[in-house]
Amino acid sequence: MTLVANRPAAGPARPYAFPEIRRVSVAGGTVIAAHLPGQLLASSMLMLDAGAAHESAGREGTATVLAKSLEEGTRTRDSAAYALALEGLGAELSAAVDWDSFRVGVSAPVPLLLSAVRLAAEAARTPRLDPEDVTRVRDDEVTALRMDWAQPGPRADAALRADLFEAADRYGRPLHGDPASVAAVTVDDVVAYHGAWLTTPGVLLVAGDLDTLDLAALGEAAFAGTTGAGVAGGGPLGWVKRERRRVLLVDRPGSVQSTLRIGHRAPERATPDYVPMTLAATVLGGAFTSRLNHLIREVRGYTYGIRGSYAMTRRFGRFEVAAGVQTAVTVPAITDTIGEIARTQLDGVTEDELAVARSWRAGQLSVEMQTPGAIVGALSTLVLHDLPDDYYPTLRREYLAATVEQVSRAAADHLHPKGLTLVVEGHAAVIRDELAAAGIGELVDAEI
Amino acid sequence: MGSKRGRTGQYGWVTSPSAPVVTTGYPWPIETTRLANGLRVVVSEDRSSPVVCVNLWYDVGSRHEPAGQTGFAHLFEHLMFEGSVHVKKTEHMRLVQGNGGSLNATTNPDRTNYFETMPSEHLELALWLEADRMGGLVPALTQETLDNQREVVKNERRQRYENVPYGDAWLRLLELLYPEGHPYHHATIGSMEDLNAASLDTFKAFHQQYYAPNNCVLTVVGDAEPQEVYALAEKYFGALAPVPDIPPAPRGHIAGPATTPVRETVTAAVPAARLYVSHRTHPFGTKGYDAITVLATVLGNGRGSRLYQRLADGKRIAQPDYIGSYGVDLAHAPAPIIITATAKDGVAVADLEAGLAEVVDSLVTEPVTEEELGRAKAMLTTAWWRSLSTVGGRADTLGRYATQFGDPATVAYRLPQWLAITADEVTEAAAYALKPESRVTLTYLPEETESKEERA
Repeated sequence: MTLVANRPAAGPARPYAFPEIRRVSVAGGTVIAAHLPGQLLASSMLMLDAGAAHESAGREGTATVLAKSLEEGTRTRDSAAYALALEGLGAELSAAVDWDSFRVGVSAPVPLLLSAVRLAAEAARTPRLDPEDVTRVRDDEVTALRMDWAQPGPRADAALRADLFEAADRYGRPLHGDPASVAAVTVDDVVAYHGAWLTTPGVLLVAGDLDTLDLAALGEAAFAGTTGAGVAGGGPLGWVKRERRRVLLVDRPGSVQSTLRIGHRAPERATPDYVPMTLAATVLGGAFTSRLNHLIREVRGYTYGIRGSYAMTRRFGRFEVAAGVQTAVTVPAITDTIGEIARTQLDGVTEDELAVARSWRAGQLSVEMQTPGAIVGALSTLVLHDLPDDYYPTLRREYLAATVEQVSRAAADHLHPKGLTLVVEGHAAVIRDELAAAGIGELVDAEI
Repeated sequence: MGSKRGRTGQYGWVTSPSAPVVTTGYPWPIETTRLANGLRVVVSEDRSSPVVCVNLWYDVGSRHEPAGQTGFAHLFEHLMFEGSVHVKKTEHMRLVQGNGGSLNATTNPDRTNYFETMPSEHLELALWLEADRMGGLVPALTQETLDNQREVVKNERRQRYENVPYGDAWLRLLELLYPEGHPYHHATIGSMEDLNAASLDTFKAFHQQYYAPNNCVLTVVGDAEPQEVYALAEKYFGALAPVPDIPPAPRGHIAGPATTPVRETVTAAVPAARLYVSHRTHPFGTKGYDAITVLATVLGNGRGSRLYQRLADGKRIAQPDYIGSYGVDLAHAPAPIIITATAKDGVAVADLEAGLAEVVDSLVTEPVTEEELGRAKAMLTTAWWRSLSTVGGRADTLGRYATQFGDPATVAYRLPQWLAITADEVTEAAAYALKPESRVTLTYLPEETESKEERA
């Protein structure tokens, strides 16, 4: 035999370390930086308490229109000059909004980061917001959303969200709004949103070679001319565990796959069960060898891939399974999915499965945190959820120490197979009768 | 590395810094060796993180597939995760993820690559897994596995190409760009009919033909020392027999730009009219293609690009989120540049096409300015360093240069060569490659929807 039969043992592990974190208070704001010696690129992110939860009812998407308007010129230069100045540094602006924060990111070769941050701040703090430009950006965003909603997925996501949260609540509406709500956004809404939320200092996150980056100068660039303080968005949203399943059918005529979005509410990010919940979801639907992917992809061949996870923000959490399955096997794929969720809730996890989940989650803290962009993302988690600087080493230890009992308990407490909402976006004429007859739950045609 | 360029003593930092001068695109060490069986081993040590990437480039891609066997290289890639002599079905994924790693594999027209980034104490495990599936896949391959993965691949095709608006554009463009019989004519995902006809023996033969140490480059980047990697490579791969006389891919020789324009119009369930304009240019790795790379950035990468400035801004006939141009880096025949724009509401597709053609043609008639060139080079520089910012990105890049150009050290030249391209060379590249008579135009038009008819 020419192959070595015995699987090699692991070599000695190097100790885990998150990059050294430094803080500088300057110009009314705080810079939080991670030291990555030798990195040629540096990354930064201005983070503001200006998440989409602040938007008014019926105007969901205001913050997104604002984000896209930031590059339409500033008080000192028009949009073409701005693009040339920024891209001339090899930098690109990424302005994005989530439920809890508004983020303006920029990365560049280390010697150019200060100039890039100055330009990013110029756009974030002093955008021109010319009414004609904002109106055009708004109209373009309506079109872009229509393009996006023509893909499988966004309509199913919206249907699930509306069902899990009160449809009238901000959290029951899509993060970036829908074509109708964005069309209703006015220039005044956008200008007011900027004035209310983008003029406070916020926090500047930096990852790069701090031996060659001047954090005070970066902070001064980011915080110049700002006033006040951010306002966090309030405490956790209340919710009630459901006892009955609902099936929402979203018609997509001619679709060769059914897009599944299956979920229920869960605790917010601050839950003490965060680690065992994450590991339980990893066993159920996170790793490639998870129960769901193993059964539905590797055994049945119904899908290219299926995933399940908890998503948690400051104010809410939810469990969600997502997949695209061949139209003809929609019902068996759903039945199998519910079966695996129920089995995990009832019987918990095994030591073998948990061993994979523990090591994978712990290892990912090194493997997926190599770049300045990834480290800035990790810093943003610390800020958003008020976590200590030694959080990542602690998290790693907690992953590795989690027991079968703890993780099985989390699965028992935080999976609700009988209270699932199951959104099916697919060719309704082909799948409706079988779905209705399957006895999964009450079937409703979603108006979306 | 780590130089204090820009430091101005006690006064802190210069206020208008300039980009660092780039003398090499790869400032890390590169060591190489070749085992007696022909396996090339490339090591690039970097101790800054306790992670290591193992990457294998096999010199086999969909360009090697004969008629009737399209999609085989890619389906085979799936089979490589389904067990080998000492690795049980599903165990490969479990061992990599269960030891903290990330892994994947991809197939394209040129090659197939396999890679895992692991905490560095598991380097030896990764090498053992890769050796076992290089040398021991065939005995473990079963009809059940083939049938299952064939279904998975069909689902991949549905999900990525058939169930999304414009999802089949790449499949259509290849057929329009390369004539029947050319190795790039068919897409890597292949046809459902060919996949259905695939027999287990065909796949066994495929493995025995192409998955040989002498048809592979093994690259290890990160927290590992070259001599240690060489010893481990010898231990796990050294006894695998080379395969003599691996047949080359069908000849990819074809003139650069076509001489007759081609167009195809598709009416489909798409939300807006969209154009794809494409030309054959030069093969990746040539000076001509470097000029195309810079050209594509000037033309269609970023808000400062000509397309964005003139069609999204300017005339405002194109949707700002869906406009751009890029080269597809294929090395074994003149590679395509793809230029795309999507009509804004109420804009006739003919007007969009005329506008797009005007901007493309402007690259010949209106010289590229120093400002445009500087912007493009700055963006390419950042993109280059970003692609090398992980051990995985570095390993794949080294594997590419070793496989396609025979020496991984040639990686160092690409960025300086981009930065040496002049405005005149961009104009020459446009005049050569972007002629109207060599143009492929693929147009998507929305179907008349019922709701529109009801409104009418």
